[in-house]
Amino acid sequence: MSARRIIMWCTAASLALAATAGLIAQDQPSPTQGVVKKGKVPVSSEILKVKLPKAAEADLPNGVHLMVLEDHRLPQVSFQIFVPGAGGYDDPADAPGLASFVAALMREGTASQSSEQISQQLEVMAASLNVIAGASSLEATIAGSCLSDQFDRLIDMTADVLLHPTFPQEELERYKQRTRAGLTQQRANPGFLAAEMFNRGIYGAHPAARLSPTVAALDKTTRDQLTAFHKAHYAPDHAGIAVAGDISMAQVRKLIDAKLAGWTRTGVAAVTASEPAALTGSKIFFIARPNSVQTNLIVGTQAIARTHPDYDVLQVMNKVIGGGPTGRLFIHLREEKGYTYGASSALSAPMYRGDWSASTSVRSEVTEPALRDLLAEVAALRDQPVSDTELIDAKRSMIASFALSLESPAQLLNYYVTRWRYQLAADYWDKYPDRVSAVTAGQIQAAARTYLAANRMQIVAVGDPARVADTLRKLGEVETYDADGKPVLSSKF
Amino acid sequence: MTGRHSGRLTITAVLVVLALAVSPAAITPPKISFTDTRLSNGLRLIVAEDHIAPVFSIAVVYNVGSRDERKGRTGFAHLFEHMMFKGSENVGPGEHFYTIFSNGGTMNGTTNKERTLYFETMPANQLEAGMFLEADRMRSLAIVKDNLDNQRNAVQEERRQGLDNQPYGRTNEAIDELAFDNPAYKHSVIGSMDDLTAASTQDVASFFQTYYAPNNAIIAVTGDVTTAGVRALARKYFESIPAQPAPPAVDITQPPQESERRLSLPDALARLPRLDVSYRIPSDLSPDGDAVDMLTLVLSNGRSSRFYESLVRQKQLAVNVGGFAPDSRGPRLLRIIATPTPGKPVEDLEAALDVEVERIKSSPIAAWEIDKARNTLRRQMVANLGSSLSRAVQLAENALMFNDPGRINTAYERLAKVTAADLQRVAKQYLARENRTVVVTRPAPPASKGGL
Repeated sequence: MSARRIIMWCTAASLALAATAGLIAQDQPSPTQGVVKKGKVPVSSEILKVKLPKAAEADLPNGVHLMVLEDHRLPQVSFQIFVPGAGGYDDPADAPGLASFVAALMREGTASQSSEQISQQLEVMAASLNVIAGASSLEATIAGSCLSDQFDRLIDMTADVLLHPTFPQEELERYKQRTRAGLTQQRANPGFLAAEMFNRGIYGAHPAARLSPTVAALDKTTRDQLTAFHKAHYAPDHAGIAVAGDISMAQVRKLIDAKLAGWTRTGVAAVTASEPAALTGSKIFFIARPNSVQTNLIVGTQAIARTHPDYDVLQVMNKVIGGGPTGRLFIHLREEKGYTYGASSALSAPMYRGDWSASTSVRSEVTEPALRDLLAEVAALRDQPVSDTELIDAKRSMIASFALSLESPAQLLNYYVTRWRYQLAADYWDKYPDRVSAVTAGQIQAAARTYLAANRMQIVAVGDPARVADTLRKLGEVETYDADGKPVLSSKF
Repeated sequence: MTGRHSGRLTITAVLVVLALAVSPAAITPPKISFTDTRLSNGLRLIVAEDHIAPVFSIAVVYNVGSRDERKGRTGFAHLFEHMMFKGSENVGPGEHFYTIFSNGGTMNGTTNKERTLYFETMPANQLEAGMFLEADRMRSLAIVKDNLDNQRNAVQEERRQGLDNQPYGRTNEAIDELAFDNPAYKHSVIGSMDDLTAASTQDVASFFQTYYAPNNAIIAVTGDVTTAGVRALARKYFESIPAQPAPPAVDITQPPQESERRLSLPDALARLPRLDVSYRIPSDLSPDGDAVDMLTLVLSNGRSSRFYESLVRQKQLAVNVGGFAPDSRGPRLLRIIATPTPGKPVEDLEAALDVEVERIKSSPIAAWEIDKARNTLRRQMVANLGSSLSRAVQLAENALMFNDPGRINTAYERLAKVTAADLQRVAKQYLARENRTVVVTRPAPPASKGGL
């Protein structure tokens, strides 16, 4: 449908203030019909039943939970090591980003190898090895992949990076210089600015409000901080290792026993996540980005944790309103109105109460009708039951698409990782189709009323102050910021 | 379903000649078996049956891209692509994508300078639906003014979202405009706002007639299908679509560049400057194609690359640097992009980049650098065999670009033959100052400050 893939990240929306707003048709071309079903396509009404291959699982003496999905279709292996407690969630309050700096710098030198040696070896092997810790994630992830005959060597290098990083001072300085520029550049990206403000609005003082490290925290980071964080947080006690591809459980066990023997328990407690403070009202945030030709919009609110009993209901609800091109947002805002290249919604359900959000970017002059439509779609979920056809189509889409994941060992293994991470029932995925099938229109409407209440919606807009600010004020009081995230008085513009 | 899907990829064991490779990559990838036939109306049909997973993919490549656009209609091939989702005789507007997604599949379309590609992956029991959907729009596109207006809006938003509202959004466009002299390759795929606005339903109708003919298309079907079953469906749904006269050939020639071209591009949305150096290189069809691709990797791939090691690590003049060469049957560029370290002059970065370019022409390329480039390409190749969609797209695109879908199986052998001397030869031949275009994008003060 596009020169690029239809990409919709986002998170987001509807407002108390806007609940009464109908659609505004002012000066817009008359809408076309978004989807017309002639019903002549010879589709099979049967949903293909698929059975997920089982992963082999084992608990190792050092606390690690090991999951291996053996798959010999291609001569390659990929793996991930999840280390709870080593993500940005545990950053000290005065050092936001520390976990991400530690993760990035583990590859920059070990007791036996320099940064250059590590890079060169990996690249000649055509292997990948990366350590990543999100700014608010509960865990760090070490991920790698290679052709299967390189796996022994890759695990050697992984063990070295995991257990013996030295955080050389000169590499820290280099890293600061590169990262500072990246942090500057991302502030030019309107999608980043919108997501950053949305997280602040939704999560307040909770760690999940952090989307990115700050330059100030980067500048004052010391080698001692990195070393101390690594020592304290990279423990195996509650970690998981997931391996998929051309290898067996027995081979993986042997390798881990031989090469990760030095990764021993520290007695660290399991990670617990706190809940964000409940939202007490709805707010409108505007980020003034002069010269913008579009307005990026995110509308959303707090939702649920991954283990909440309403998870499946909210997934079906999300599918109906904005889970891809069949969602109401895409069909109404793009296919009928032509306001945007894309519009979608997403449920983020982590260990704590996450968020639901809807987002789009529209040309500046249709900011008002597009935002009102976005809010009207959220209101419609609360006010009217989802039609039978939409419900059946959404559920079939979710269940039938399971077949596609059988093409990818890594994706299959991810089901088992999710089950481990959230301690879901052993037959969780076997029963997934039945649970999704059982979701009713009544449950969806009830969930929308519970979770998508207008008086807790947060609205974020990033755009040209000259063309958008007045529009937003029609919806209520607006908090205005500049592109550096600093509050500004409206009169400044 | 499950019992049938435990098979491995069909593997024809072929010993790859690893003449020079001291390298670790002793593994040979599986070979893809396929059939390659034509229907009576000229539609090329490639089928690669396997039973790895209970899914299939269809890739339909039309031999039309932005290089086929006429003056005043830049962006039209891509706008047209959007119209292919707005209905045909038996399929309503939007019903194509709605049907595929709501039955568990995924799909999209994509346009570049060379071709327009449509694809879907679906559960194995929906093959007939997929073939029907592709055939109906090839046969009988609905051309409705309101739908054109709607998708024109969507595409103009796509342009704003991807280019006009992004830092460095104009840079790629400016490079093509300056570096190419051939009018077919000079403009961007997304096109200009004015040209998009000018597109009419008559344009859609004549473009459809000329380019969306079965004899101008290739369809590849891969995955959990039977070859006989796919052929029967192809005959049933596609074979009666009439062939058309062959579209006009694209003139891909351009005079040699005689001197370096330069542009300083102000960008009101950027916060840091950016350096783009682009060398003219020959078409993918040239015998130098593999050597150029490996040269690009030695220069720019990863932390151990020449550029990263020198410009980012040692001299600290850049915070990042990368290189790539988009595919083309005609004029082509090797693109290098670098962001100067804040506070360091762009000129110093450019001079340091020149040093590396000269060095690769005159001093030896190490064996490990060749191994690395070769292994990187091989690793990508293996990874790309994993999904039925990737296999379908490669088969169809190799048929289009090289008239050789089997190229998917020969990369190992081809790469084994490329030597360090080949890389130096192509570096000397193409990485010349008079053969390049340099664009420096610089943050500009905001053009306007509005009132709130």
